[in-house]
Amino acid sequence: MFPALLHDALTVGAVLFVLGLVGILTRRNLIVMFLSAELMLQGISVSLVAWSRYHGDFGGQALVVFVLTVAACEAAVALVFVLQAFSRTGRLDAAAWQSLRDAEVPRRIDRELPATDAAPPVWPQLTPAGVRPRRDETAEPEREHV
Amino acid sequence: MIAALLPTGTTPLLAAAVASGTVSLWLLLPQAPGSDWLGHRRGALGLVLGVAALAALAWAGRRLGGLGDEAVFQIVSLVAIVGGAATVVTRSPVYSAIWFALALAGVAGVLLVLGAQFLGVATIVVYAGAILVMFLFVLMLAQPSGLAPYDRVSNEPLLAAIAGGVLLALLTTSIGRLSADPPACCTIPSRADAVATAPVGPAAADALAADPLARLGRELFGRHLLAVEAAGLLLLVALVGAIAVVSRGEVAEATRKGAS
Amino acid sequence: MPPNLPATLLVLVPLLPLLAGLVTIVFGRRLGPRVHMPAVIGIGAATGAALLLLVAAGGTGGGTHEAPRPAETTVTLWQWATIDRAIDPQPGSPAALPGIAVGSTDSGTRPLSLAVTLRLDPLTATMLLVITSIGLLVAIYSIGYMHDDPDQPRFFALVSMFVFSMAMLVASSSFLLVYVFWEAVGACSYLLIGFWFRRPEAARAAKKAFLVNRVGDFGLAIAVFLLWLTYGTLDFHDVRATDGTILPGILGQTRLADAGGFVGGTVGTLICLCLLLAASGKSAQVPLHVWLPDAMEGPTPASALIHAATMVTAGVYLVARCAPLFVVSPGALAVVSLVGATTALVAALIGTVQTDLKRVLAYSTISQLGYMFASLGTGTLAGFTAAIFHLVTHACFKALLFLGAGSVMHAMGGVIDMRRFGGLRAVMPITAATFFVGSLALAGVPPFAGFFSKDEILAALHARGWPDAHGGVHHDHEPAAGAPAAVRTARLVPSTAAPVVPAAWRSTAPAATPQAVGPLDWLAGAGLYRGLFWMSLITAGLTAFYTFRAVFMTFTGPLRLPPEAAHAHGGHGPDDAHGTHGHGQRGHESHGHASAPNAHGHTAAAVDAAASHESPPVMTRPLVILAGASLVIGWLLFATHGLGGFLAATPSLTAPAVVATRVPPAFHLDLAIQGTLAAAIGIALAAIGHLGRRSDAPSLERFLGPLQTLFARRFFFDEIEHAVVVRPLESLAWFAALVDRVVIDGLVDAVARVPAALGDIVRRGQAGVLQRYSLAGVAGVLAVLLALAWQLWQ
Repeated sequence: MFPALLHDALTVGAVLFVLGLVGILTRRNLIVMFLSAELMLQGISVSLVAWSRYHGDFGGQALVVFVLTVAACEAAVALVFVLQAFSRTGRLDAAAWQSLRDAEVPRRIDRELPATDAAPPVWPQLTPAGVRPRRDETAEPEREHV
Repeated sequence: MIAALLPTGTTPLLAAAVASGTVSLWLLLPQAPGSDWLGHRRGALGLVLGVAALAALAWAGRRLGGLGDEAVFQIVSLVAIVGGAATVVTRSPVYSAIWFALALAGVAGVLLVLGAQFLGVATIVVYAGAILVMFLFVLMLAQPSGLAPYDRVSNEPLLAAIAGGVLLALLTTSIGRLSADPPACCTIPSRADAVATAPVGPAAADALAADPLARLGRELFGRHLLAVEAAGLLLLVALVGAIAVVSRGEVAEATRKGAS
Repeated sequence: MPPNLPATLLVLVPLLPLLAGLVTIVFGRRLGPRVHMPAVIGIGAATGAALLLLVAAGGTGGGTHEAPRPAETTVTLWQWATIDRAIDPQPGSPAALPGIAVGSTDSGTRPLSLAVTLRLDPLTATMLLVITSIGLLVAIYSIGYMHDDPDQPRFFALVSMFVFSMAMLVASSSFLLVYVFWEAVGACSYLLIGFWFRRPEAARAAKKAFLVNRVGDFGLAIAVFLLWLTYGTLDFHDVRATDGTILPGILGQTRLADAGGFVGGTVGTLICLCLLLAASGKSAQVPLHVWLPDAMEGPTPASALIHAATMVTAGVYLVARCAPLFVVSPGALAVVSLVGATTALVAALIGTVQTDLKRVLAYSTISQLGYMFASLGTGTLAGFTAAIFHLVTHACFKALLFLGAGSVMHAMGGVIDMRRFGGLRAVMPITAATFFVGSLALAGVPPFAGFFSKDEILAALHARGWPDAHGGVHHDHEPAAGAPAAVRTARLVPSTAAPVVPAAWRSTAPAATPQAVGPLDWLAGAGLYRGLFWMSLITAGLTAFYTFRAVFMTFTGPLRLPPEAAHAHGGHGPDDAHGTHGHGQRGHESHGHASAPNAHGHTAAAVDAAASHESPPVMTRPLVILAGASLVIGWLLFATHGLGGFLAATPSLTAPAVVATRVPPAFHLDLAIQGTLAAAIGIALAAIGHLGRRSDAPSLERFLGPLQTLFARRFFFDEIEHAVVVRPLESLAWFAALVDRVVIDGLVDAVARVPAALGDIVRRGQAGVLQRYSLAGVAGVLAVLLALAWQLWQ
């Protein structure tokens, strides 16, 4: 009987890969795009290990080690570039860069989005102990949302 | 009847799982509100369909028998897939990263089930411990407050979901066809069979039989020694390169400021 | 003379001017004031070689005076191209002469073998000497004439190249080479007419000459094609193949010895008419003569060399060379004569009212060329030799007249309108004297050159017009003077020397020849030639009239100079660049005439400036040499019968049909008297009208009435050709341009719009958005995977 383990592991790997692919194609945040790419790599790693076990050969696992290594390198370099891009546009938007379009095609502009209707979240506050701490009014207020 | 229409290697259950998963993905991806008639119900509908797709997938795996029956594998793979899907569909990139950490945990579990102990642990350590933290740092540096507009919309979600669905259908179908003609030379028994028929001695064929960590080490530093060295060099180069790019960018920034 | 010397000289004659031309082209600017040296030295050496060749050609002639043997020497320089089995001649056709192996290749086919071969025979030697000697004198004259022109290198290079091309044209021994150099002389002519191309008239005249010549060249091309199809070769001479068989050339001795070697009938007539068309274009015969008067826009030395002495005689040479082809087509011969005599008369009539000195000479050239064609058209040996004789003498005196006109023009500051100057005899004595000699020669006054050659032409025409004058048919060479029937035509034309003609000419159809009857042979009756004879006689009178009208208007009467002559230093026209005449300001009219301003608003020049007006010696010496030649050459050649006997050894003229017309040389006193009388009447009329009068005074022309308009407008040839040829062509061109713009361009644009439209669709995808590109890439991968799955899972 053909090992069902191979089937299931390969299916899991395929699903992860496809999820990562869809993420790459749809999400416009550069960070999330990289997360999706890593997800694709995870899918591949699962498939490689499954085949490695199927063949009783550790070559597949060795390859996954290299995948890890390259992913680390890629993350380091790519994040630097993301930072550079951010420092130029102030955005992490992949669609912020459209210079390569044809001269007669208009620039893509996002539709105006309605404001989020969610109420601002209430953040926990430390109860004052002893002296009420002085609050610096000029400091940047904490983010209401991450 | 439906099965007759499907190509060999797939089943109606698997097909249903792929289809509902595709629709679910499309519904859950961030989209501007009011873009269709579903409105606020799209999130709930997407969740329902996603759960249905996962259930169908688990059911299809269950019918395959073998190790798929094992609850551990079911659970870790479920964690990996749910984490991955949430990574993709969550609006906030910070939450995305955290969902990704969950997916990594699932993947590590799958690897452990598959007998790759070193890799499972390394995934947790390297990814969750180092890479993901780096992502989070960058997000702290760069993410503006609140949800940016580009986080609230997706690029061509329908087309991308359809493309993903087609690819998944192709992959699962081809995986299903693997059993149609198993190469006799390469069949490896399932764990139960392996344990039952395992030859005694150092020449055991089963990867799980004896000391896999040592064998992986021998593999890496034997057959792949040069590649390991090259990987080390690659890490160094990436390190140097990242620092160089960052510092040059800072110099450029300083020049720009000085000029203005 | 060593055996190889003629061949060497034959190559040297064209080669030296070619080298001179190349040297002038390459080093022209560096030569500075010695820019004329290569041309003068090269052409001079070629003249020497041509003189030696004359001896060589005569030396190889051999044969008796009555039965000359053909004399030719051929030099094959290199094989240009060879095409095996190019033609398969039908048995019995002229391409496959009976009794001669038709070629070395199998199944009787024959190769198209194009060799660069030069030939030497008396006709070529004569032409070469004319070309090189006139070319030399013109080159020397140009040293003075073109003295201050900044483009001297171009001029001398073109003159050298022209001499090379013309020498090759007459020395080539293949119709294809003749065609090549026919075009080459045309190109040189075009470039020299348009030498001052910045003047719109010169550019227009050059274009006109080129286009009109093109019509004639078209005829030559057709003739070459027809000759190839008919005779299976393009060579003049016989070619001995490597296996010893002989490929008979079109004008080779093998074919000449064969009575049936030449094709008559329709094809033969067609070939001859095409050749005549070519000759008409190059030699300015009606109706293709319109380019020659306009060609006077070129520098006068070039006009003298190309458009008076040499290039325009290429047509005469071509017809004479192809004499065996013509004599079997009497109809074509008749057309040649008709065209020639008509041209002679029409051009002479136009010449009577021209006021531009160079144009008078241009129409005179056309007229004299018409004489030569009329003579060629007789188809007799006498006619052919008379044409060449007239060619030689005409080259002398017409070059003299043109150079004299150039001298006048040079001194008058570019003015050439005869009404604006007069009495130049006092100012330019050498020019006047030499011009007078040339005019006497042109008018046919004994004993000047033109008299003898014109007399021979009239005699040849007369012989065809009155062949029965002496009864009997003579194919042998008995003296005809004693023929008893001479008195029968005495009342019409007293004839002391009756030519002898074949029987064929006495009827309208040449039934006695074995050839097929051509479609135009009915023309070739005696009546036609009688008419042509009278036309020629009238033309002789007209020639004398317009020549001496020009002489009297220019050189006699009260001295008058145009203001441009005084300002010759100022560069009035391109022709007045010579700045050495310092005759001072405008003076007063001489001879005691009232000093009232004349019609042109200026007074006459001072007579004391006269001496300084004569052209420099480098220009007058060629005039003197040519005047001397014009004086003696006719008498010399006639008295010794040198040219006739010399030319008789030309292979083309040894065809049996030509030799059969041979008559002993004689002096035709009656014709000479008539011709001289006609000339005397013409001169007398000119003297009545113009001698001693102001040249801008109205004269005899006023008696012509409407005819004067007809002549002055040149019989409306230009207008007719414009309406008949140019206008329809312009309409056609307009229509073609319309089709090109609307249909062709529309199609091209439509084809171009298809990719543009497709691109408009596809370019929408080029939004510059990264993820769209990724999506497209994934879609492509999916398409490939689906196709693979479709293939593998079937």
